[in-house]
Amino acid sequence: MGLLNRIRSNTTPQQLADQEPEATPISDVVARSQVTVRGTITRIKAIPKSGMPSLAVTIDDGTATATAIWSGRRAIGGVTLGRRLDVTGTAVSSARGFEFYNPLYTLRE
Amino acid sequence: MLVLIAGGGSVGRHMASRLAASGHQIRIIDNDLKVVETRSKQAVFGVTWVFGDACDVGVLDSAGAREADVFTSVTGDDEDNLVVSLLAKQEFGVPRVIARVNNPRNEWLFTEMWGVDIAVSTPQLLTSLVEEAVSVGALVRLLSLERGRANLVEVTLTTDSPAVGTRISESHLPREAAVVAVIRAGHVIVPSPDLVLLDGDETIVLLTGSTEDEDALRIALVGEEH
Repeated sequence: MGLLNRIRSNTTPQQLADQEPEATPISDVVARSQVTVRGTITRIKAIPKSGMPSLAVTIDDGTATATAIWSGRRAIGGVTLGRRLDVTGTAVSSARGFEFYNPLYTLRE
Repeated sequence: MLVLIAGGGSVGRHMASRLAASGHQIRIIDNDLKVVETRSKQAVFGVTWVFGDACDVGVLDSAGAREADVFTSVTGDDEDNLVVSLLAKQEFGVPRVIARVNNPRNEWLFTEMWGVDIAVSTPQLLTSLVEEAVSVGALVRLLSLERGRANLVEVTLTTDSPAVGTRISESHLPREAAVVAVIRAGHVIVPSPDLVLLDGDETIVLLTGSTEDEDALRIALVGEEH
């Protein structure tokens, strides 16, 4: 997905919310593949990374957990504990499980 | 290993031929069609040229960024190197991203924020080499590994050093430090715990990034008064 497309799709979250894309169970995610995972937010942490703020949001879908990390911000409106969240991006394996860097996200009910 | 290189200038080409010679598979991405065409003709075994803008996700994808073990961005433009590094990490999850810093003023930007695992700045490298050349009896940091969690340091021992004349195992090194090599009269010695350190030895030590360990190492190898 091109960067421009992502910026565009980020600015029109409503369109994405209308169509529920299929999500992959986190336990089935293949490292370094482009996937969408869906889960409940269990942990929100503002972590400084090299002196810059960054937000780490962990979601749990019952099979495993994954963490989305957004750099340059401490909070995202609507991203709250217990909320269901879709995360689309490249799954990067780390010591703490899969991480997604600056992924596309969609808030769910 | 599959190594992708963004930037087919002298740095990128040199790296490619060296790495290919040691058996790695190399792909160089360059946005100058002429360069790519001429270089492709003078084929080097193990090196493939890819034409395109490395700042373009599509180009990186078709070059095989998703399978790459290492990505190095060595263009002459720091902003390009940053964008390429970010894309390599964020979009393709490349395990090791190395970026070249052209202008030392930009060095502060080359962090994990931008997907950079290791930033290589020639001025900074030269400075530490000069420091190493001129500083006998001081601790010189050569290389930072694992994002600063480990450092490779060098100490040239003088007669003031409390470690001279003692075995490595008895030289009060901090627990989280290891002497990985001793250079004595131009020869590299792989040290055993029983090796007795001598005046003039260049010791290469791997230790954690903590300042306490560095201070303890300084006391053990350089002496208290420094």
